[in-house]
Amino acid sequence: MTCEEIRDVLGHYVDDEASSALRGQIEAHVAVCFPCSQELDEIRQLAASLAEAPSVTVPSTLWTAIEERLDARSVARSFFFSMLRSRVAMAVAASIVIVIGLGLFSLPWGGDRSQARAATVDFTSLLDGLQHDAVAAFDKFMTQYGAVAATPGEAKRHAPGLSFDLPQTLPGGFELQTVYILRFGDAPGVAGRYERGEEFLGVVFHAPVLKEHFGTHKDRACIMGQHRGHSVPVGDWTLVHLTDATTCHCVLSRLNETTELPAVMSAVVPLSGATTGEPNGHHHDEP
Amino acid sequence: MVDRDLVERCRRGDRKAQHELYASTSDRMYRILFRITGRQEDALDLSQEAYFRAFTRINQFDGRSSFFTWLCRIAVNEALQFLRREGTARTNHETAAAQARTKGGAAHSDTKLDIDAALAELTPEERALLLLRYQEGLDYKAIGEVTDNPPGTVASRLNRARQRLRDLLKKSYGPTEETPVPVHPILRMTSQSAHPSAPVSSSRAQPGAET
Repeated sequence: MTCEEIRDVLGHYVDDEASSALRGQIEAHVAVCFPCSQELDEIRQLAASLAEAPSVTVPSTLWTAIEERLDARSVARSFFFSMLRSRVAMAVAASIVIVIGLGLFSLPWGGDRSQARAATVDFTSLLDGLQHDAVAAFDKFMTQYGAVAATPGEAKRHAPGLSFDLPQTLPGGFELQTVYILRFGDAPGVAGRYERGEEFLGVVFHAPVLKEHFGTHKDRACIMGQHRGHSVPVGDWTLVHLTDATTCHCVLSRLNETTELPAVMSAVVPLSGATTGEPNGHHHDEP
Repeated sequence: MVDRDLVERCRRGDRKAQHELYASTSDRMYRILFRITGRQEDALDLSQEAYFRAFTRINQFDGRSSFFTWLCRIAVNEALQFLRREGTARTNHETAAAQARTKGGAAHSDTKLDIDAALAELTPEERALLLLRYQEGLDYKAIGEVTDNPPGTVASRLNRARQRLRDLLKKSYGPTEETPVPVHPILRMTSQSAHPSAPVSSSRAQPGAET
């Protein structure tokens, strides 16, 4: 073997990945070739230096954080499955969810129209595509606002001013697939993609002062419990918006607004800041 | 090697078993994520995500690789995606500076600091490969399982990464106008006057040895 060929496989030799035949050839070569033996020593020294791992201490908060997420997932799943097990239990649970919803959605709808900034959330492409392929429409909307996949922790850091939760499992059994961070003009936004089998559900969080545009689709007020939001129905899909002081929580789904959506909304709207309802502060363009 | 019973208990959601798996792997997992990202807060965030994903998808673990290799696959891919997303938001110099800060100076030799500064100049993929091999001791097959590459590809990419790291170390110890040619301890052998009949010994080029 030439020096060049030997040098190509010295890494294999140091890593103990060379066959015994190759090892023999390498050892015979470096025994008589000083430059190649130098090269071998360099690689060994480099490997030894890299193996010298820095001493780091795993923060004690790590296991606590993992356990909390696992617990939250267990609670959501057991809630869903217990609802499925009994129709009676389901009725009771639905009542509880609605009651919780009443508390949760007593959110301030207030907002100063003068706060509206130039950035507009344009839902037109999303709404237009729903009848054909909801997932593709959601993806297109994500692309439109430069969405990139992120971890829930990154999403929180990306949009510290927004109040939202992205649980791993939503009531009803929707599993979180992807978290996105995106931007609406200068304002940060966050989105999430959920699936239940083949069924898709999307959530988008953005600042309430942004304007919304729905193209030719009709926006209507909706009541969830006794609380006002607004929704845009397209076929059997609905884009529902509920807004608190800092965040508009948008949920795109085929769920029933009375029996299913309140539980989902309660899972993505943090419990803090619930107060008595006031007029919705959204500003959206008329079709 | 994690025993099958422990994994089986994790599949049933046994929290004690999950903690046992966590306790037996978290030092290595956190350390490699810290060294790939260069920031403790990122390592913490990514570790949390990796364990959460592993425990909630443990039914996908088929036992053909070790649990640690499987966990590494989740964690390293998550870290590489994270760093790609960060893109230019963070420069290599910031990574190197963060790593140097965390090491606490005097407790580590200059060589160690240089190695980590040079590591920070590599791509995250190259950094991950070198750390999986030399810090964690994974063989080419296991690294292939983590990175989804055949062992041959792992070997050639490791060769490239190793060479890039050596070039960077040589460059950082290259000559300047004011100073004579300093030589990185690891590379001192190359500046010695070569003797063709010198015996091969891995102990000749100890870091810090004077020429």
